[in-house]
Amino acid sequence: MSTTLSTTPARRTGSTPGTAARPVRRGTALLPTAVLLLGALYCLLPVVWVLVAATKSRAKLFNSFTFSPSGSLFTNIGDLSAYYDGLYWRWMLNTALYAGVGALLSAALSGLSGYTLAKFEFPGRAFLFNVLLAGVLVPGITLAIPQYLLISKVGLANTYWSVLLPSIISPYGIYLARIYSAAAIPDTLIEAARCDGAGEWRIFRTVAVPSMLPGLVTVFLFQFVAIWNNFLLPFIMLGDDRKFPLTVGLYTMLAQGNTTPALYTLVLTGSLLSIVPLVALFLSLQRYWRVDLLTGAVKG
Amino acid sequence: MKIHKAAKLLAVTLGVSLLAAGCSSGSTGSTTNTNEKVELTFWTWVPNIDKVVSIWNAAHPNIHVTASKQAQGDDEMTKVLTAAKAGNPPDLFQAEYQALPTMVSNDVAADIKKQTASVKSHFADGVWQQVTLGTDSVYGIPQDSGPMMLYYRADLFTKYGLTVPKTWDEFATLAATVRQKAPQSYLTTFSSNDPGWFAGLAEQAGSQWWSVSGSTWKVNVNDAATKKVADYWGNLVNTGVIDKQPMYTPEWNKALNDGTLLAWPSAVWGPGVLSGNAADTKGKWMIAPMPQWNAGDNKTGSWGGSSTAIAAKSKHIDAAVQFATWLNTDPQATSALVTQGGIYPADRNAQSGPALASPPDFFSNQTDFYPMAKQIADTAAGVTWGPNVNVTYASYKDAFAKAITSKSAFGSAIDTMQQATVDDMKKNGFTVATG
Amino acid sequence: MSTRGRTAPKGVPYVFLAPAITMFVLFLLVPIGYTAYLSLRGVHISGLGLGRGARKEVFVGLANYRAVLHDGELWRSALRVLVYGGVLVPSMLLLALLFALLLDVPRVRLARFSRIAIFLPYAVPAIIASLLWGFLYLPSVSPGQYLLVKAGFSPVDLLNPTSIYFSVINIAVWGGVGFNMMVMFTALRAVPQEIYESARIDGASEVQIALRIKVPMIVPALIMTAVFSTIATLQVFSEPTALRPLTNSLSTTWTPLMKVYQEAFARDDIYSAAATSIVLAAMTLVLSFGFLRLVQKRAFGQDR
Repeated sequence: MSTTLSTTPARRTGSTPGTAARPVRRGTALLPTAVLLLGALYCLLPVVWVLVAATKSRAKLFNSFTFSPSGSLFTNIGDLSAYYDGLYWRWMLNTALYAGVGALLSAALSGLSGYTLAKFEFPGRAFLFNVLLAGVLVPGITLAIPQYLLISKVGLANTYWSVLLPSIISPYGIYLARIYSAAAIPDTLIEAARCDGAGEWRIFRTVAVPSMLPGLVTVFLFQFVAIWNNFLLPFIMLGDDRKFPLTVGLYTMLAQGNTTPALYTLVLTGSLLSIVPLVALFLSLQRYWRVDLLTGAVKG
Repeated sequence: MKIHKAAKLLAVTLGVSLLAAGCSSGSTGSTTNTNEKVELTFWTWVPNIDKVVSIWNAAHPNIHVTASKQAQGDDEMTKVLTAAKAGNPPDLFQAEYQALPTMVSNDVAADIKKQTASVKSHFADGVWQQVTLGTDSVYGIPQDSGPMMLYYRADLFTKYGLTVPKTWDEFATLAATVRQKAPQSYLTTFSSNDPGWFAGLAEQAGSQWWSVSGSTWKVNVNDAATKKVADYWGNLVNTGVIDKQPMYTPEWNKALNDGTLLAWPSAVWGPGVLSGNAADTKGKWMIAPMPQWNAGDNKTGSWGGSSTAIAAKSKHIDAAVQFATWLNTDPQATSALVTQGGIYPADRNAQSGPALASPPDFFSNQTDFYPMAKQIADTAAGVTWGPNVNVTYASYKDAFAKAITSKSAFGSAIDTMQQATVDDMKKNGFTVATG
Repeated sequence: MSTRGRTAPKGVPYVFLAPAITMFVLFLLVPIGYTAYLSLRGVHISGLGLGRGARKEVFVGLANYRAVLHDGELWRSALRVLVYGGVLVPSMLLLALLFALLLDVPRVRLARFSRIAIFLPYAVPAIIASLLWGFLYLPSVSPGQYLLVKAGFSPVDLLNPTSIYFSVINIAVWGGVGFNMMVMFTALRAVPQEIYESARIDGASEVQIALRIKVPMIVPALIMTAVFSTIATLQVFSEPTALRPLTNSLSTTWTPLMKVYQEAFARDDIYSAAATSIVLAAMTLVLSFGFLRLVQKRAFGQDR
């Protein structure tokens, strides 16, 4: 039905069926394109810099002009892999685990909660929603040490669970899911299913989730990135360096203290490599960023 | 309804955590059964420590040590503190000397006096004092030390016709000369981000920031010696003959590389940092004793240095002490620490041992590097660290950063540090005397 | 307002919400409760504080709160953050809105590339981002400075006490504009095309359509990005902390949350940190809920 977002001006996604296709126009909107490219350049600048810096050997890093690439990228990657026998790759796997499983569970929880808040009326709904939202107000730093102490009491400190469990609850994810459910799931569909005698859980599974899918993917992506980039929670929860995620691992390579040089080259190479999986994820899940509000029913 | 249930759950959990938090720490146990295999965890930041540890593991199948590489610094110490509070600290952890009193005060470091009777002779008195804190107990085994000396670019000194300064007065004159002869360069920089560096310089001048009299702490961060040092550097910075950028930044690395910083008052572990950050300047640096306050003096301070401490809550204290003793006194271990970890051992035998027979690679041009280092190490002043060094150090960073940006006298920054230290101790109920 | 399902059983919403509520209680409420408990405690030392049992945790009542409220440094950092946020939030959101609108222009080229590129910084953790920008700011390793000097200009000091605000803001804008742009763009995409038809037929230009039709249609999204950005801004911590060792212009308590971090992690004073956190959370709560109430109807207008 709809094409992916591309540069062709002809057809647009998100259109209601029955809408006339927009007239095809030739030509380019020069100014918007230029401004957007400028923005892209600004955003890509440090990334390009990291790419170039990661090609430099340790000696050259502070000796050559910043944007002139050198040839040591693979040597650096080799050095990075040799660091404690491949510890970096273990960090990457850990991060994928924390982010992947955490975001999956979080999206599921947010989806269920958002759907409930959007589609049911019950006493305490507004109160619960406000309390859940207030969770966004509490900064991670405040929670880190108390969470650690409480997790230690149940003996889960320094385990994978200690990083996974606190990541599952995401007030912002619930908020997003609620907004999305309200807009994307037609009430008539739910009522129809109820009339057919379907149970509420079945309705959620078969009606709500498919309609909400793009929204769920959004929540998944959001939480995935949040967990992938999280530093403080795993830093305080984990002592065993083989369970570190990338952020904490790279930090230990930087914070070597006075007596040893910071491993800039390794950190820069490691940072570059850590961006790659995220970009790949974005690109592959990109089509879900389409907002396809309707499943054929009337909006609203 | 659900709300009530949630409230009940909350109350119960809160109650449990209140109870648990109120409980005093449990007792420690130490296994003396040498037949069962013991697993020890060790938090440290020494590079390549796993290679040293594997030597032990191969020779001691009954005591297996797993080292975890951590970041160095205050937040690391907090991790240990928090872990101890939660009841699961690592069995062994690396603790810088200035952090030991904090560890002891929080009952995190075990008293290993019993097990270390024969170890004392391995270390110089000044070093041993840092793990006994002036008491009868022993709280850690010294690993490395950081006596301070002056590093300088011998090639650039020759190029500009400069002589190595023997007193701080000569140093000041030299700084001005450098600015004249090479306007892009500075003799060195004053760092507002390295309180340990400044503490070492103050030690050389004879400062005693903390001392104990009975059960009272005396705090004198702003004593005359420290003020002298602060004002000296403040004068140099504010007249522009010394740079004011922090150390250990990419900017500083660049300056080391391209010779716009000609000297670096640093400690004996300097070669590792220089070779890591300025590899192309290999063979161009040399060391000399620190400039002295009075001609003919022979004193220096220390920057850094750490010990291996054992957690009070560890279940295998005896085994842990065995490992820690081996790590820091056994010739094979200290050799490995030098070659793999790049540290300067505190163990006296190791200091004149084979691993230090030839100069570090980076200083291949100075064959007497280690003999000179040992001589200098013997002149290092002793130090008593107080129970809240972290507060003083944190205050240093802000106070001096502010003094630099507002171009004000550095002496007042010292007063700020004194005030912060005393206030913090008083708040916690210490009996503090000043002056 | 959502219509009630014809035969929705009464207990179902509560059962469905139970997992979220449980997790929320366990990982948010209980730690907050524990923080509140800690804020009423302190430490008491006997003697030199070096023996066993010399350090005790005691109840100190409101002493921590008194100390926090009297601490000038906390209010100074709060003021700094308000200034910081006052510049950051409007500029970031305006930029995000601009990009979102531009992406929605019919004949724009390379939209997909630009979209991904602008979104990319969101994938970079704050620690890494600040390290990268640190390299780009420090005069001797910065390519920008190098080019400026080569072109004959004098180097720009990006890290003095005034310009540091803009330098930190820049990192935050760089990191956040992509995400906000995507939220707004997604909202824009949800608008059915026929709304623009009549406007186009009447001859309205793209700019007019953007300002008069598109922007008003996505106001709920704008408000929510504003609220969440403001909350995130008030909690700024990572960027100044990572930049601080590189320059003399940032103190360790430059923002309120840095102060909390200092107390908890550098000074090992979890009690003061707890009290400061509670005070900060209360202030943030008042600010954001106040704002939310004002705009509640607009924000949730679509939730019928």
